[in-house]
Amino acid sequence: MIGINKNILRAVLILSYIAITALVVFGISSLYSYLNTGADRSAILHTDIKKTDQYLPKITWAPLNNEGRPMNEQTLNAIENDYLDAWYVKHVAYKTNKTIGIDDYYTDSSRENIFNIIEQNKTKNITVEGTTLKHHPTLEFFSEDGQLVVITDNDVVEYKRIYENENIILETTEKSTYKVILLLEDGFWRIRHIIKQKTEVYNADINPVLNNITSIKGINYYPQATPWNMFGDKFDPAIITKDFKLIKESGLNSIRIFVPYEAFGKANINSKKLKKLTQLLNLAETQQLKVVVTLFDFYGDYSVLDWTLNQRHAETIVSTLKNHNALLAWDIKNEPNLDFESRGQKHVIAWLDNMIDLVKSVDKKHPVTIGWSNAKSAKFLKNKLDFITFHYYEDLDDLEAIYKGLKQDIPNKPIAITEFGMSSYKGLWNPFGNSEKNQAEYHKQAQNIFSNNEISFMSWTLYDFIEIPKEVVGRLPWRKRAQEHFGFITQNGETKPAFKYISKE
Amino acid sequence: MTLKPTYLLIITLVFSSFVSSVDESIINNNIQLLTSETEFEAGNTIALTFSNTNASKPNLYLSNSYGSTIINPHLENGILNYQLPKTFSNKTGVISWNLLGDDTPLSGKLNIYPKQEVTTMETYLGPPSIEAGGADYTMLVVIPKDIYDNPLKDGTAVSVKYQFSENKSKDVVYMKNSISYRNIYSETKTGRILISSECLSKNSKEYDVNVMPAIPTDFTITYNRNHEYADGNQITNFSTSIIKDKYGNIVSDGTYVDFFITNASNHILKTSGSTINGIAKAKMIHPDHEENWVVKAFIGGMAESDSLSLIYKQAILDFQIAFSDDNRTISVGPLKSFMNQMIPDGLEVKLHIYQNDKKVKTLFKSTFEGYTNFKLSSDIFTKGTYTFKIETAGIQKIYQNIKL
Repeated sequence: MIGINKNILRAVLILSYIAITALVVFGISSLYSYLNTGADRSAILHTDIKKTDQYLPKITWAPLNNEGRPMNEQTLNAIENDYLDAWYVKHVAYKTNKTIGIDDYYTDSSRENIFNIIEQNKTKNITVEGTTLKHHPTLEFFSEDGQLVVITDNDVVEYKRIYENENIILETTEKSTYKVILLLEDGFWRIRHIIKQKTEVYNADINPVLNNITSIKGINYYPQATPWNMFGDKFDPAIITKDFKLIKESGLNSIRIFVPYEAFGKANINSKKLKKLTQLLNLAETQQLKVVVTLFDFYGDYSVLDWTLNQRHAETIVSTLKNHNALLAWDIKNEPNLDFESRGQKHVIAWLDNMIDLVKSVDKKHPVTIGWSNAKSAKFLKNKLDFITFHYYEDLDDLEAIYKGLKQDIPNKPIAITEFGMSSYKGLWNPFGNSEKNQAEYHKQAQNIFSNNEISFMSWTLYDFIEIPKEVVGRLPWRKRAQEHFGFITQNGETKPAFKYISKE
Repeated sequence: MTLKPTYLLIITLVFSSFVSSVDESIINNNIQLLTSETEFEAGNTIALTFSNTNASKPNLYLSNSYGSTIINPHLENGILNYQLPKTFSNKTGVISWNLLGDDTPLSGKLNIYPKQEVTTMETYLGPPSIEAGGADYTMLVVIPKDIYDNPLKDGTAVSVKYQFSENKSKDVVYMKNSISYRNIYSETKTGRILISSECLSKNSKEYDVNVMPAIPTDFTITYNRNHEYADGNQITNFSTSIIKDKYGNIVSDGTYVDFFITNASNHILKTSGSTINGIAKAKMIHPDHEENWVVKAFIGGMAESDSLSLIYKQAILDFQIAFSDDNRTISVGPLKSFMNQMIPDGLEVKLHIYQNDKKVKTLFKSTFEGYTNFKLSSDIFTKGTYTFKIETAGIQKIYQNIKL
């Protein structure tokens, strides 16, 4: 007994010794590795330049033909950067009535002028939200020592929204020409003098397109596995081809797709995703389907200082696709009227208004619309849009009257319904929901109304989705479940009864 | 997708805008602009007046070169009076204004022109130094300004005055793009150009620009040494002629001159110096054996000298070697120079040790009072037969099969 006990004692002692040693070694090593983690050594030098785009108005330099010293590209870039930054800090200063940043971009004497106006606006509680959308500078003069330039900035398109006591009292877009003298001080090109030479109220000259839309029979499209994330890593041309074939064979002629703003890289478009978008249009062209491209999905800022970034985003996409045969139309934004409440109607409308101008200035051929979430909103900007679209999820019995009413209000523009549909979800979260049979009847009735009134339509949507991102309808399960079941084809890939009425009665 | 009840909001907005537009159209008919003037001199008090038949006091939006604001009127006897703030009335450029609270608002433009009276001459001069010869120039940029920091009108005459030695000049230039500028060229001599400007009887202060010599031209070099013997101890001095540019100006002090010395075996030695008053000097120690040097000086990329040939005679003609201590101590010397004097300390002596035709080691020593000793340790050089080669001042002596 004693012998066994001794052996046990020994074993326990040895094991505990090993355990304590292991613990100490582990402790020391984790402390050591903790002390060795941290910044990469290369970070000491701060060699990587983190530059975020904040302000990117369209700037077009006139060919260089200046007096004085010949200009080089690098200096011109430096001048352009600092000059635009000067505008940016000025916009921020007048928006906030604070002088942060002004010192860097205006010389001692010239910044006084800005400070005076800010002082004045502050006492009256006036703020100005402004941005410039276009610059057309001409380099007039560059001094021999490279320290002074004179530029004439022609036709600067400047949008301003003036608030008094936080109420908008004026919205104005001006086109002005400035003479600007800049000095190189402390490595900054600073504005020394700026003199407005000309100014007038600006109206973008946009023309209605010649080829407007006719008889759209379409569907909103996302692949079943990747709704709201179509251009990610799971982008699969084979699946899209299969779906497009199905859409074409079912008697439809067009699809509506969405380009998410942030996922596409905001102002600096992700070229891989843009390639995928082009590829998608190529596939649509092969199946003889036309595509309505909806821009700015998941965007909701609308703030004036964001406009130039939004415009560069749209400009890149629109100019890439504007000659594509499969392109049918541009939908500026999906259901922007839903943001009226949270962002302010005037803010949203002003943003849309300027975005229409931008898209139409880049692509003069394709019609432009906005996918309003209801027929009531469809009257906004109706004169600027080439055709009017709205979404309809209400009672079909009212549709005909609503459509006719709208047609009466806007008699000279085509009108289309670019979203409608019914969820066939009936279950735990909504025991009194609609069945697949109800859904089929709904689509039958809808097709009946469309054919009787010659209404262009695009239904929501091809598939029942398995996973809905929370950004779409939020986290609430009854909303998610409902959203999952709008398709003509079930989650298992079987066609629902409604599929029969996908394109005709 | 989801439909939100925004009807109420929209209807309210539409309705309220309709109501207010009715109000405003009434105002519109009642307000008329009275001020007919649109051109003002900076600094003047500017007021816009409107006749007004009712009691409304709409605000006025103003926008100038630097920013925008809103001002309130002063209503008296049916006249609306808007006085522009100094910030707006003092700065040149176009001011646009809008009477607010109207659907078809009254709007217009004012033009503020500078007060044609110079208060300061904003002057920029550069580069601050230029090259002689008449091709290089400096640029004077003058912005005459009124008391409110506004550049004067384009077309205003500015005279640019400058003086260089005997010459005084005055040129008239005219403002364009809100500036005036003039290029001022150098002459063939170095010196200082004094520059000033004048506009509407206001004179600037004095500015100056240095005219520096142009690039150097080719030059000659000379040498100077105590004796012609290769004693490895004395120093030879090299010196350039006075280096000048092509207009005869002495090059700037500090112009760097490289001297390249090519020896008999085509190896290159280099020494250098900077100019003072146009002359650069450099030094090089004598070789320790008979040599033939060719020396040429360069100012990188600009100028070069002629080449110079120097001959150094052998100073040490022969020397003695003594073995002692079982041949383990090798004594070299006396080493005598050209007058049989002991060679100055520090001459290098090399001992190459070979065993079986293979080099085992080379030992280096410097002379002291004409002698040097090598001691070969028995730990390193074990017993055996060695060959020694002793070399100094370009002379070699070989001792074969020495037993240690």
